[in-house]
Amino acid sequence: MGLKNIKVGLLPGVLATLLFLMPQLAFAASATPVDTTAWWVWVLGLFVFTFLLGIVAVIAGVGGGVLYVPIVSSFFPFHIDFVRGTGLLVALAGALSAGPPLLRKGLANLKLAMSMSLIGSMSSIAGALVGLALPEKAIQMALGLTILGITVIMFLSKNSAYPQIEKPDALSKALQIHGIYYDEHLKQDVDWQIHRTPVGLLLFILIGFMAGMFGLGAGWANVPVFNLVLGAPLRVSVATSVFVLSINDTAAAWVYLHKGAVLPLIAVPSVAGMMLGTKIGAKLLTKVHTNVVRRVVIILLAVAGLRALLKGFGI
Amino acid sequence: MKQETVHADKVQLAYAGILSKATTLGMILVALGYIVYVFQLMPLSVQIDQVAGNWGLRASEFHHKVSGAPYGWSCFNQAGNGDVLSYISIIYLGIVTMMCLVAAGIAFLREKNMIYTLISFVQVAVLILAAAGVLSGGH
Repeated sequence: MGLKNIKVGLLPGVLATLLFLMPQLAFAASATPVDTTAWWVWVLGLFVFTFLLGIVAVIAGVGGGVLYVPIVSSFFPFHIDFVRGTGLLVALAGALSAGPPLLRKGLANLKLAMSMSLIGSMSSIAGALVGLALPEKAIQMALGLTILGITVIMFLSKNSAYPQIEKPDALSKALQIHGIYYDEHLKQDVDWQIHRTPVGLLLFILIGFMAGMFGLGAGWANVPVFNLVLGAPLRVSVATSVFVLSINDTAAAWVYLHKGAVLPLIAVPSVAGMMLGTKIGAKLLTKVHTNVVRRVVIILLAVAGLRALLKGFGI
Repeated sequence: MKQETVHADKVQLAYAGILSKATTLGMILVALGYIVYVFQLMPLSVQIDQVAGNWGLRASEFHHKVSGAPYGWSCFNQAGNGDVLSYISIIYLGIVTMMCLVAAGIAFLREKNMIYTLISFVQVAVLILAAAGVLSGGH
């Protein structure tokens, strides 16, 4: 019991400490261009930081990208262009490595993912182009507002594990979007179908655009749209979101690669830290209070969003 | 209580097979490339200190000031450099999804599912155009 309490308190404690320490880092960041800190200190710090972020992200049930961009752009000395390019790669690498078991178990549905991501990937390219063309302050402001919006969504959204769909819509029938999966909780097969497909397509245009513009993985938006709008079961929504993310982020990542907004020096430790952290987080998942961590993440996002907004206003 | 049944179809299994192998290879390449880069086991196009000294600039300003840093397909002109190898390993991650979609498209074609064959190959075309810089503002 005591050990459990320590574990429960550990992650919020680490996060609170990071939050407490970060203004100093941020001050160092804004004090550049003459940054006397050795490059490897930043790179090592980034690896450790993304490792912790990976643990927290998986326990809180959010993708790493959505935490990575606002926090790293606020508290590290890298320009937000490079942070956004790396954020997409972090989300992409996570999605690629999470994908195979989800497909093999039949939890992710390719037809559902491909139908939504075809249009989403085009809008994510547009979003990335717009994002890299906008002035830095405008991006910081928009990012701040978006992150605060995500915080509200995370705070208010109540997912539905097994939505009941009376009748699938015509478009979902034409696109053959339905399925069956074995639910480990219910210990039985679950049949599912979806409705409101045209509305979902429109929302995925918007999600793709924002993901590309801010370099955010878009699990925070994909899952509620699949689950609450289209009516897919929660497990299918979470698993399928991974594939939408891998396609949309690939498309947007090419824009950042072509515009020179990816530096291997920053990208690789971020990807490695996040992936290692995610694996550890998955092991801790059953041992910590996910609700506590989720609340801490919501607070962390709110702080990062507010900070991005203030940076946008030049404060 | 029902025994677990796997409901993945052939297309999903084909996609998963390619994805699993391609991602494992990608992670190995990314790790090796980075080791070569930061330990400077090969010559660099741009010294690490110079990259770190300018990573606070906008991407466009960075490349204006730090000439020779790899980006886009032009990096293949300097493929013998450590930083370029690391960059190429990242480019590889951008190709993995395309390979999987081609496998899915072929599997859909074998099943004579024309809607998803079309969706798969149109999606591949979008990603190829982005990778080529046509849709993504490349140079």
